[in-house]
Amino acid sequence: MALLRGCATAGRLLLTGRLSVLTVSAGQNKIPASFLVGSTRASSKAVKDAEPLRKAKTPQGRFDKPEEEKSSDVLQKFPDNVNPITKERGGPRGPEPTRYGDWERKGRCVDF
Amino acid sequence: MGKFFRGLLISPGCIKLILNHCKRPLKQRKSPSSVRVSCSAAALRENVISFNHLHLLSVRTVISTQYPVVDHEFDAVVVGAGGAGLRAAFGLSEAGFNTACVTKLFPTRSHTVAAQGGINAALGNMEEDDWRWHFYDTVKGSDWLGDQDAIHYMTEQAPAAVVELENFGMPFSRTDDGKIYQRAFGGQSLKYGKGGQAHRCCCVADRTGHSLLHTLYGRSLRYDTSYFVEYFALDLLMENGECKGVIALCMEDGSIHRFRAQNTVIATGGYGRTYFSCTSAHTSTGDGNAMVTRAGLPCQDLEFVQFHPTGIYGAGCLITEGCRGEGGILINSEGERFMERYAPNAKDLASRDVVSRSMTIEIREGRGVGPEKDHVYLQLHHLPPQQLATRLPGISETAMIFAGVDVTKEPIPVLPTVHYNMGGVPTNYKGQVITYTEGADKVVPGLYACGEAACASVHGANRLGANSLLDLVVFGRACALTIAEEHKPGEKLSPLQPSAGEASVANLDKLRFANGSMRTSEIRLNMQKTMQTHAAVFRTGSVLKEGCDKMDDIYQTMDDLKTFDRGIVWNTDLVETLELQNLMLNAVQTINSAEQRKESRGAHAREDFKDRIDEYDYSKSLTGQEKKPFEQHWRKHTMSYVDPKTGKVTLEYRPVIDSSLDEQDCAPVPPAIRSY
Repeated sequence: MALLRGCATAGRLLLTGRLSVLTVSAGQNKIPASFLVGSTRASSKAVKDAEPLRKAKTPQGRFDKPEEEKSSDVLQKFPDNVNPITKERGGPRGPEPTRYGDWERKGRCVDF
Repeated sequence: MGKFFRGLLISPGCIKLILNHCKRPLKQRKSPSSVRVSCSAAALRENVISFNHLHLLSVRTVISTQYPVVDHEFDAVVVGAGGAGLRAAFGLSEAGFNTACVTKLFPTRSHTVAAQGGINAALGNMEEDDWRWHFYDTVKGSDWLGDQDAIHYMTEQAPAAVVELENFGMPFSRTDDGKIYQRAFGGQSLKYGKGGQAHRCCCVADRTGHSLLHTLYGRSLRYDTSYFVEYFALDLLMENGECKGVIALCMEDGSIHRFRAQNTVIATGGYGRTYFSCTSAHTSTGDGNAMVTRAGLPCQDLEFVQFHPTGIYGAGCLITEGCRGEGGILINSEGERFMERYAPNAKDLASRDVVSRSMTIEIREGRGVGPEKDHVYLQLHHLPPQQLATRLPGISETAMIFAGVDVTKEPIPVLPTVHYNMGGVPTNYKGQVITYTEGADKVVPGLYACGEAACASVHGANRLGANSLLDLVVFGRACALTIAEEHKPGEKLSPLQPSAGEASVANLDKLRFANGSMRTSEIRLNMQKTMQTHAAVFRTGSVLKEGCDKMDDIYQTMDDLKTFDRGIVWNTDLVETLELQNLMLNAVQTINSAEQRKESRGAHAREDFKDRIDEYDYSKSLTGQEKKPFEQHWRKHTMSYVDPKTGKVTLEYRPVIDSSLDEQDCAPVPPAIRSY
């Protein structure tokens, strides 16, 4: 909310042609000057040496693991999603679902 | 009319807020039909997620002092938000009607999402195809009980419907040249059965129903349909044989809502939950059929219920026939491969109805397994595990998740399971609900039905695979088109009595404070077990008669109900009891219709009457045969009525429509013996 107000004020002041707008509005709206001129970090003295942030020691979630692990799904995806035998794109994974006369998926019959 | 907000949910407490804010406008209003919600917008935004066209005529205290009733006025109300309901709802919104969609589930949680098969359409992408051949296949599949004009309409519209879905963004699987890929499925043939297998089934990977529902929901958000999610529709508001709307219970805060509309569309789905073992969700309770029954209108062909022989005991998921195809066998409590006695040649590979009946006979004769001896085993552990894993990948996962067995060591418990209900609310091919009086179909003004809840009847006595998703979209659209043709948006509503819906609220009150001795779950289990034993696959005169008497007794025990939750906010005990009332109405009609129908046709197979009884004997030449009168043959639709107080079922019959919509364009198929 604060940012929007600042921008709005800045916008209005810009229209009247005053270029040294930002410092004025910063003072009026009690927004720190550092917030408007750029990233807080650049102007604050704490992290001057641009040391990369170390990852906090929180527990690894499901999506934190690297991507290479294949899903343990029994039905593997076809390369490029194209069925090599029937040349169907975007079709059901695994063997042909209608091979037994009903629509089969993972041993379950879903339509017949 | 100004539209203040775009529509979805109403949060709890907002009703009270609206009523408080609207006290001022109510005094100032000039005429009931022109009330606007002129409440402070900022205050409303805090408490209301969003709503559209909430017209508050007044806070009614006439019906019951405890039940605040909110009245709404719309051009059309759709009950149910599955595939058919959503298609009807946004079809109407697209045509400019102010539409409400009343649903007890969030739209994308409806049972359509579980349909993983495909959708049939004669697009002709894999080989030359013609919708008339699809028409022939469907008429034959229905065992000549389907109305040929409705089947004509559905199969002719099928290619356009599938292309429309694809244009809405449904990601069908494709061939190399980018056309929709079609596979062979569901008894489809070319050249009226003489040209070999047809490839007509389009699908979206493994999740056609899921994708269909999400596509339709996403599309419906473009239009300004008002969704009333988690509102349980109690009854239709009928006056002088005309439907004037719906009365519903808001589950979230317990308020009653009356939706007045010129047009009401029922799309509430099937009633699988009347049986002990079914593939449907717990929410498939036949609410639409029951609402229509309580309004004094008939339901059609409820005895035709489609079964599958091997459904997992308890879970209800079906095990594919491929298991038996790969060498799996069915065994009873004595460890015997009983199919050898019933089908000496085909054994376990006999057709589905033979297998289902054999399993049921074994269970009836006491050779079932388990503590209640009510199912049999499907044994796969005698097959080499690698063969199972390559030919049927995923089956060990399925068996472990749903049956809790290791398929390489133990057998899977199975029993015949309900999958689809061919019967429902009778409609014509346009989606209008009809009754049959004085020898002719008569349209009920203001009432329409589509989807599994309706019986148009395209599936007749047996549904073909991949036809039901097609049925949803075609007839959902048909209802919307019919309404658009006959009515205009913004039409003045006919007056409704102020006490309309009183009986529904009285019933609700009675159930909420019920203090008998039997719990809802007990009565429901009794009903389900009775239906599974007496009205399942094995049907014969004595068994059905016994079942009818038992169901009658169970119906009477409904007066002895006990509920525990006396509250009104999110009272699931109450909602389950209302659903039980609906299930009971469906169950008594199903078993009584089955008992009366003395023939075998499609899914209704009787041991004592093994043949189809038509007006002519179609297995012989027709010359020299005399046509049987209407009362003596069975190629007719059953129309069943129930008196809700006593549970007594009355049956009437209606002839099948044998002419297509255009005889020149599509010749109707004369009846013949069905053989594949």
